[in-house]
Amino acid sequence: MTIAAPGESVIDAHLSADLAAAALDLARSFHDGATLWVLSPQWEPHAHHVAVEFVHPVIMGKRALPAVALVEPDPVAQARVASQPGDLLLAVASATQPAVVEAMRRAPAWGVLTLWIGSGPRPPAGAANHILWIDSDDPMVPATGRFVLLYHLLWELTHVCFEHPGLLNRPDDCTDAACVTCGDEGRLGEVVSAGTQGSALVRTSKGEEWVDVTLLGDVAADDLILVHAGAAITRLEAN
Amino acid sequence: MPENETDTTAFLYPFIESEETDAQRLLDDLAASARGKASESARLQRETLEEYAEAVAAAGAEMAERFLRRGRLYTLGNGGSSTDAATLASLFSRPARGRPVAAWSLAADEAVVTALGNDVGFELIFKRQIIAHARDRDVVIALSTSGNSEDLMAAITEAKRRGLLTIGFAGHGGGRMAVAEDLDHCYTVHSQSIHRIQESHAMLGYRLWSVTQQHMTRQAVS
Repeated sequence: MTIAAPGESVIDAHLSADLAAAALDLARSFHDGATLWVLSPQWEPHAHHVAVEFVHPVIMGKRALPAVALVEPDPVAQARVASQPGDLLLAVASATQPAVVEAMRRAPAWGVLTLWIGSGPRPPAGAANHILWIDSDDPMVPATGRFVLLYHLLWELTHVCFEHPGLLNRPDDCTDAACVTCGDEGRLGEVVSAGTQGSALVRTSKGEEWVDVTLLGDVAADDLILVHAGAAITRLEAN
Repeated sequence: MPENETDTTAFLYPFIESEETDAQRLLDDLAASARGKASESARLQRETLEEYAEAVAAAGAEMAERFLRRGRLYTLGNGGSSTDAATLASLFSRPARGRPVAAWSLAADEAVVTALGNDVGFELIFKRQIIAHARDRDVVIALSTSGNSEDLMAAITEAKRRGLLTIGFAGHGGGRMAVAEDLDHCYTVHSQSIHRIQESHAMLGYRLWSVTQQHMTRQAVS
């Protein structure tokens, strides 16, 4: 498929359902006080466009929402220090853009919800909470307004959700005794700093905690590890 | 109203939905809305390209002729249109295929923009840069969904005076850009939605780039 034929809608049933789910998640996070951080290392103007869209809406009367383009030379470091649990991270990037791949990999340890807009080969399933993808191998897609359409729609649908306050509170999924998310079965953590005597300060989606790292030996800042019952059980190596 | 009538009259107040619990209905509505807006965006892009097919072909040829004389492209816009202007400049300066040419957005440098905005006034942020940068073989493309932005109009007038090729992308009814004698080409996207206008501006820019590339194939820069 190419994008050479303008005038053909690129939003099919699947992508529209993906957009709807992403918008509701976005609205719920904003409702809970989230800030939206935006990465687009290949096409920085897209990151700026998303930010201005949310901060200064083109439709009068719509609320201004916190959104910030992260365009420093090391966007992973910038996202790491900027993001707090409950925040949102949106990338406009190809599936192989190294900084975005790295940020998405670490996002669960930062406790942020992730969205990924792009085209070409898709990221692996589960690489982000919401993958909004144009399935075209044409490298010119980023310059044709297709991505602009996607984040415009995301903004428009998010604001529709605010008109449904009863749906803005996330359903409590964690009442189950065997819940994997909340149970301590192996949470992703990122080392903040190595301590003495086999311990390290580690950042997880719940915040910072001291973790026993004797199983792993030496750890260094920014290492990704799996934490189980207060101990690091595995180090995750970069792909 | 008597208290016992609250339940039976709730249907009169459709905006009071704090008790709403069925997210699936909302999700279905959102998805349908997304498809509808995407279809409208595609229709507008198609009709805009059809309306301006000959005019864009002519402008692309004139741009190529200037690039072959080492002309440069400056793009202008405010807000979301400044980012679309930056995307357009990148399309010309580092395209995924084809020949790159010198192009940049005059909104890109925050030191220059804030210096001018603070010292001489926001309406002159682009005009002052045109005075500094422009040579008569250059090209300027201004993007404004209203067609009325004062900072763009001031820059267009200055650019025309200095012999640049001047191109405007407007929206709504075209505003001041549609009737500006200082614009060599003006394409108005006939819509009331800023979002849909911007999506068509992107497609217009892409078509302009494509035509320019066709004219530059196998031509030597002088």
